[in-house]
Amino acid sequence: MSTNYIVENLKKEIDNFSSQIKAEKIGHVLEVFDGIAKVSGLSDIKSSEMVTFPNGETGVALNLEEDTVGVIILDDFSKIKEGDEVKTTGKILEIPVSDNIVGRVVNALGVEIDGKGVIKADKTYPIEKVAPGVITRLSVDKPVATGIKVIDAIIPIGRGQRELIIGDRQTGKTAIAIDTILNQKGQNMICIYVSISQKDSKLRKIQTRLEEGGAMAYTVIVSAGSSEPAPLSYIAPYTGVSIAEYFMDQGKDVLIIYDDLSKHAVAYREISLLLRRPPGREAYPGDVFYLHSRLLERACRRNQEYGGGSITALPIVETQAGDVTAYIPTNVISITDGQIFLETDLFYKGIRPAVNVGLSVSRVGSKAQIKAMKKVAGTLKLDLAQYRELEAFAQFGSDLDNATKQQLERGKRAVEVLKQPQYAPIAIERQVAVLYALTKGYMDDIPVDKIKEFEEGLINYTENNTKKFYKEIMETNIWTDTGEAELKKAIEEFKANF
Amino acid sequence: MTTLSNNDIARAIYLVSKDKTHAELHNVINKIVSFLVRRRLLSKTEDILERLNKIINHENQKIIAKLLSAKKLKEKTKKELTSFLRERYKAKEIVFTETINEKLLGGIRVEINDEIIDLTVKNKIKKLQEYLIRKT
Repeated sequence: MSTNYIVENLKKEIDNFSSQIKAEKIGHVLEVFDGIAKVSGLSDIKSSEMVTFPNGETGVALNLEEDTVGVIILDDFSKIKEGDEVKTTGKILEIPVSDNIVGRVVNALGVEIDGKGVIKADKTYPIEKVAPGVITRLSVDKPVATGIKVIDAIIPIGRGQRELIIGDRQTGKTAIAIDTILNQKGQNMICIYVSISQKDSKLRKIQTRLEEGGAMAYTVIVSAGSSEPAPLSYIAPYTGVSIAEYFMDQGKDVLIIYDDLSKHAVAYREISLLLRRPPGREAYPGDVFYLHSRLLERACRRNQEYGGGSITALPIVETQAGDVTAYIPTNVISITDGQIFLETDLFYKGIRPAVNVGLSVSRVGSKAQIKAMKKVAGTLKLDLAQYRELEAFAQFGSDLDNATKQQLERGKRAVEVLKQPQYAPIAIERQVAVLYALTKGYMDDIPVDKIKEFEEGLINYTENNTKKFYKEIMETNIWTDTGEAELKKAIEEFKANF
Repeated sequence: MTTLSNNDIARAIYLVSKDKTHAELHNVINKIVSFLVRRRLLSKTEDILERLNKIINHENQKIIAKLLSAKKLKEKTKKELTSFLRERYKAKEIVFTETINEKLLGGIRVEINDEIIDLTVKNKIKKLQEYLIRKT
């Protein structure tokens, strides 16, 4: 490259440069601590407005007081000193968005952190937005296939739904979310995984797993690591949902996972206490409910007039010793359209995913469940609930009548069938075939320890021998008598040879 | 009991001492001082006075403008500036406090309360720098 070329280019760039003269509002840093700055001046500043510090750091004004403004700093705050000049920008915090963001890992400000180069973006979206109104919405009626039998059968999730995944530490909450992302291959869904205050090693593991499963082709990871300041953890979910809205505005279906909102609430509590806002229950500030409700309300299904598209949200909340009556869990339970409740006891019994079927519900998902699944899984929840009750009684004596015995045997098999290893999502039509065999009693005389083997064999066999039935379910989602007859025949044939 | 901010106190002092004759003022000031002593606010007098000053300036439509420049300004420029600022801030009186700073290279910078109008060469060069190294 010749010197002349560089000089010419520089000249051209300088010619293009024009600076506008305008009066700017400034303030001065009074104190800086723990990612928070108290700034004097800055009259006329709006709440949540972006401000800039001399070294280019960005901040957001949260507390507007009589003489000072409380600003959360979104970058490294070690270089900011007392007396530094702070300028307003007149803009509410926004992030760059574009189609190129798919397959990338970004931080809470939408800037890449995976080392694959700058993400070119021509648009920006504000991170705080009012949720879509009633007129623009449609009720949930299309399913999200999670590939997890117990969820698809008993606690179905629809596109546009908000389903909470709740449980103690180490019960497989993230595993359910990751399995769901892995199962979205070819389902026409963009997935966004928001990691809030998670260990970087865990995030790396998830990223590798998604790459191996080919899921990064339709996934964006938004990360605010635990080593980053609390303000970034606080804005990360809003960044995630803004990216989701960008895709929804194109009429696409989006699945967003917030992992997890209890850490998000903790980050917000930290900021609030540092800003000297009065603490309330469990030292959370008074507006911690609004913090999550305004976030989750942005999940929705839009009607065709407003471009279609949907955002399905799967927030995760961690409980302490199974206590769902703590502040954050009760809040989020009341905001969402149902919850998947995971239990430590079940997990250690080997029932994985450790879903407690009795306490888990999906308030709107049954409308979205495909007809075939509804048909086969209709009685499953009741069967399981009865089994749990009888199981407790059965421990006391052995003299049980035949009907009870049968119910117990069926329950044992149902529990066995609903077990599923991690990273092994199963397509919906296969689930239907297996659950049909279970609910129609074809598995009742198979020993419990052989159930897994039977299930695998049955899936392989029916896949090859009931092509018409599989095709029917895949394409039309309808359950027909001819399809049922074909499936029935295949199951009987397979069982005879088992 | 709600706490009184320094601004509230300054405003109260302004209102009680406004339009008072000399003799009355003496009495009022005595009361103010005893109030400050009673409420243990004497340590805050400096801040209160500063605020009182601001309130008085605001009420009298007087503006104190900080003027920074690389060289000493000509009287003509200052006059033009005064008439411009009078218009902009709807003020009767503009008082300049001038500072000469050669690092500004050229041009002027006006600071009024928390608003600045930066017309210095240094600022322009900084903006050009930001423009040239912007991420594309």
